Amino acid sequence: MKQYSDLEFLKLSRGQKFLYRLRRFLLSIPLGIGRFFMNLFRALGKGIAGIGRELGEIGSTFVHGDWKTKISFFIMGFGSLARGQILRGVLFLLFEAVFIAYMVMSGGYWLSMLPTLGITGPSEEYSEILDAYVTRYHDNSFQILLYGVLTIFFIIAFIYTWRVNIRQNRIAEKILASGKKLKSGRDDLRSIVDDQFHKTLLALPMTGILVFTVLPILFMILVAFTNYDGTHNGYTNSLFTWVGLDNFNTMLSWNVTGGAGSQSYAATFGEVLLWTLIWAFFATFTNYFLGMFVAMAINKKGIRFKKGWRTILVLTIAIPQFISLLYVSKMFAKNGIINGFLMSMGWIEKALPFWEDPTWARITVILINIWIGIPYLMLITTGILMNIPADLYESARIDGANAWQQYRKITLPYMLFVTGPYLLTSFTGNMNNFNVIFLLTGGAPTNPAASSAAGTVGYTDLLITWLFKITTGAESQYYLASVIGILVFVVVALISLVVYNVLPSIKNEEDFR
Amino acid sequence: MSEATAKRHMGLRASRAVSNTFIHVLLIVISIIWLIPFVCIVLQSFRVENTGPVGYIIPHQWGTDNYTRLFQTDFPRWYTNTFIAALVTAVLQTVIVLCMSYTLSRFRFKMRQPLMRFMLILGMFPGMLTMIILYRVLKDLGLTQANAVPGLILVYVASSGMGYYVSKGFFDTIPMSLDEAARVDGATRAKILYKIILPLSKPIVIYTVLTAFMGPWGDYVFARYIAFGTSAGKNVAVGLYDWLNKDQISNSYTMFCAGGVLVALPVTILFLFLQKYYVEGVTGGAVKG
Amino acid sequence: MASVKLTDVKKVYDNKVTAVHDFNLEIQDKEFIVFVGPSGCGKSTTLRMIAGLEDISGGTLEIDGQVVNDLQPKDRDIAMVFQNYALYPHMTVYDNIAFSLRLKKVPEDEVYERVTNAAQILGITEYLTRKPRALSGGQRQRVAIGRAMVRNAKVFLMDEPLSNLDAKLRNQMRAEIIQLRQKLETTFIYVTHDQTEAMTLGDRIVIMRDGIIEQVGTPQEVFDTPVNLFVAGFIGSPQMNFLKASLIRTGDSFSVSLLGVNLALNPDQNEVLTRKGIGSQEVILGIRPEHTAVLFEPDQNAIECTIDVYEMMGSELHLHLTDQNSDRIIVRLPTIDLTREQRQHLSFGNRLFISFPAKVMHLFDPETEKSLIDG
Repeated sequence: MKQYSDLEFLKLSRGQKFLYRLRRFLLSIPLGIGRFFMNLFRALGKGIAGIGRELGEIGSTFVHGDWKTKISFFIMGFGSLARGQILRGVLFLLFEAVFIAYMVMSGGYWLSMLPTLGITGPSEEYSEILDAYVTRYHDNSFQILLYGVLTIFFIIAFIYTWRVNIRQNRIAEKILASGKKLKSGRDDLRSIVDDQFHKTLLALPMTGILVFTVLPILFMILVAFTNYDGTHNGYTNSLFTWVGLDNFNTMLSWNVTGGAGSQSYAATFGEVLLWTLIWAFFATFTNYFLGMFVAMAINKKGIRFKKGWRTILVLTIAIPQFISLLYVSKMFAKNGIINGFLMSMGWIEKALPFWEDPTWARITVILINIWIGIPYLMLITTGILMNIPADLYESARIDGANAWQQYRKITLPYMLFVTGPYLLTSFTGNMNNFNVIFLLTGGAPTNPAASSAAGTVGYTDLLITWLFKITTGAESQYYLASVIGILVFVVVALISLVVYNVLPSIKNEEDFR
Repeated sequence: MSEATAKRHMGLRASRAVSNTFIHVLLIVISIIWLIPFVCIVLQSFRVENTGPVGYIIPHQWGTDNYTRLFQTDFPRWYTNTFIAALVTAVLQTVIVLCMSYTLSRFRFKMRQPLMRFMLILGMFPGMLTMIILYRVLKDLGLTQANAVPGLILVYVASSGMGYYVSKGFFDTIPMSLDEAARVDGATRAKILYKIILPLSKPIVIYTVLTAFMGPWGDYVFARYIAFGTSAGKNVAVGLYDWLNKDQISNSYTMFCAGGVLVALPVTILFLFLQKYYVEGVTGGAVKG
Repeated sequence: MASVKLTDVKKVYDNKVTAVHDFNLEIQDKEFIVFVGPSGCGKSTTLRMIAGLEDISGGTLEIDGQVVNDLQPKDRDIAMVFQNYALYPHMTVYDNIAFSLRLKKVPEDEVYERVTNAAQILGITEYLTRKPRALSGGQRQRVAIGRAMVRNAKVFLMDEPLSNLDAKLRNQMRAEIIQLRQKLETTFIYVTHDQTEAMTLGDRIVIMRDGIIEQVGTPQEVFDTPVNLFVAGFIGSPQMNFLKASLIRTGDSFSVSLLGVNLALNPDQNEVLTRKGIGSQEVILGIRPEHTAVLFEPDQNAIECTIDVYEMMGSELHLHLTDQNSDRIIVRLPTIDLTREQRQHLSFGNRLFISFPAKVMHLFDPETEKSLIDG
């Protein structure tokens, strides 16, 4: 496309400017994604080079090191012990002992079973004591997968520690050669609260994240490649095993249907994804603009009880959502207060189908979400609105701008600039807004065509509530839930990637600082 | 002043008065819309004549039957469960979040950027997915069903380090030179944290405690997973949710309202007092992203 | 009370940017050293390396003969005053000053003794129970100094301590720092971008640019004999004038020629140039505004200029002139000796003649920017 110079650009008409920017924006998406992958590859290349360097250093440490260092290659911590750093040495040695013991006792087993996820399932066997057939349990696919991954984690940790141990030797040799003294165990202990304090502080939180987030996510990603579900729970009924990309084929194929008379998984997935995106868009932007509007109304000069209005709205945040949402959901029910009120006033004759009609239900959840979200956005925008320098408005008024123009030309650009990242997180957060949908409608009304084997899908179901329904449903197709989870990640990551890579280039043109 | 400008002057004042009146009316309407559901919950919790959902608001017969009935159910147990889980989580989660955010704000170590990016990516996975495995692991450990509370606390607290953004944003606003001055003055990193940074971070500490408390207090998903199938392990959200089942609603709808009032009351009061800090945290957090 | 020695001290950041190149300096006990230079010249980085707030990438730093490269700031026995004061907002003035003593577990009696003593010297006794928020800029600055003072540290570091104050307070605090320095008898290292501060405070000045030391010397030395174009332009206000000229050698005597005027150098200068074996070449002539002689009548040794801008400063005049090469020249002229007619003559567009006495002329090589005569 034609690139305009600054002066040429300024001569364009408004429409042309808009089109030009739009084209630039659209073009920058593939560029941004391309840049991302370039960076990714560059990082990968760097990583490989780094590993090469590490190996080189390990080799040269062995060749040039003294005998203490050389023995440390096999007995971790030996060098430290021999050089008087007892604390470090003992810790290294202990770690190696634990690692070897673990690998011999169970790690080896888990690792060897990982490729098959178990060989013998539960079986009916004759028990002589009971004189009857009893079920005997053997391999446990679930545990094999879990502990297999854990063992791999452990091996990586061991390799890293081994590497640290070698580097320690190298550094210690260097320090001794320059005639200085090594750090004593006491120095090491002291550094825990001082120059190494960040490691101390991070130890607990990172362990938690590793065990309760990273490991489970890794596990669930792997589950997407197995047939783990309610009938293959890996232990009590039957083992589960690797199935490759089958589950992705199921979910993304237009031919595989969940049952007689229903549409394919791919069509269902497409419908739910589309609604999820529509929902996220409206949920984010209705809240954003209306919240900003309420904040501006309260902030306006001459409005009384500013604090009072704010407090009323803020207090509604305090009330747990499961109470307010469940209650509001019942208010809109067929026999709920709203319909009751409208009928008693004689305005309608038949109850309005708030939750029964797909379109009504979708609009109602968006409206109720506004009710939930405005107090929150009112708070956020109030703070930012107050930060807009007053002289900008004064200057605009002197230049002859009316209230709308002031909003359009000053408030909005400023707000968008400051809250850009927030809007993105808000959008992705709404895509995964389980609470509002699940507590209000539970996904209802049911979509008969889309109701496949994987739970009952409704018109207001988001991917995340669908996922929940699958895992808690009768058949518990965990593998499908995992596939959906991975696809949600891909969508969220893609959106974030585009926004992060493209946003700066749009921003430059209306820079505010 | 000519007559024309005088008129315009009057016009300005008049139009402002009109628009302000309009906004006042609007704000009143908004307040009513926002408060009505809560007023309704309270009113219906005192309704005696019918325990199911009805189409009117004002009870025909007033009484505290619903509250007394509450105490014949498992509700007190659920309430205790929720309270313990929320309280312990609030304390532990605050400690973890503060450790995390202080470190990421104050230290410049090699893995800092990769760590933050990694957690950003991690956050893009739907957290709910992990429940499948966590449930089974906790079950093996005996921390589900009737023993759900410790299991829940573990789940809430363990990953809370990921929610460091808001307090890190706050710590970032405390000048680095304070740390440096303290280091020159002879303070260790640990001392800097509790003698300089923490005393200056009262608002964000309170905000963190408050949000850490409110999370478990209103959580449904994780609690539902972990308490699966038992009544004793439920928290209030799961318990009250089940009362709105098709089979139970006609009997327990007003009880749901009464329970809701009891659940909402303590947090609302807490909020009333700590509003200022909450607002500070929310506003600061959003801008820094 | 200690000497500080920097040997080949270097600062290289992770992104391979070198902030400070091999920095060599020996600071005597009880000396007042000022690091001065434009922003980004590495002066603050060097100070922070001495303090231990930045890692030293190479070389050695010794305080009192002991290598302290790997010591934490708290173990280096230094005190520091920060640009933005860095007072702990939640502590009273007393607690602020006492903070370091309490960390060292000094008995409370002694803490009281030392804090009140320092407060008295600085004149902040009446504010001891206040929080920093309730203090003015100058008072905060005093508290910051007090906090450093009570430590009786070996070295006293100050990082642009006056730059957040307004002009009047800055002059006042500068005088107080001079007094303080006489009372404290300790080694001072002071960082500033303001050459006036550097000149008035320092026993010796270290002038830096782009992480390199350009010149070290007493204020008089760096003013009289700047070793290069940068130092010459940086020290002195208004800035030294630089004019393109030619150096002409005839035998062992030299003269400078510009705009048809020939200015002979004096014997000392001739000797230096001869010793260095310099021949005729293009040079940059440097001349300070206060060293320019102003004539109202044409003279064979004066160049003709027109007046562009006329600034009345009270006791003196600053004239911005343009010569026939369109070079701009600034001239300082005391008002006291001017006659009425002369004053009237000094207005926009009028002609004026200036000449330069040989002993105040500075000559620089246009290529290397080094001084030909000085240093």
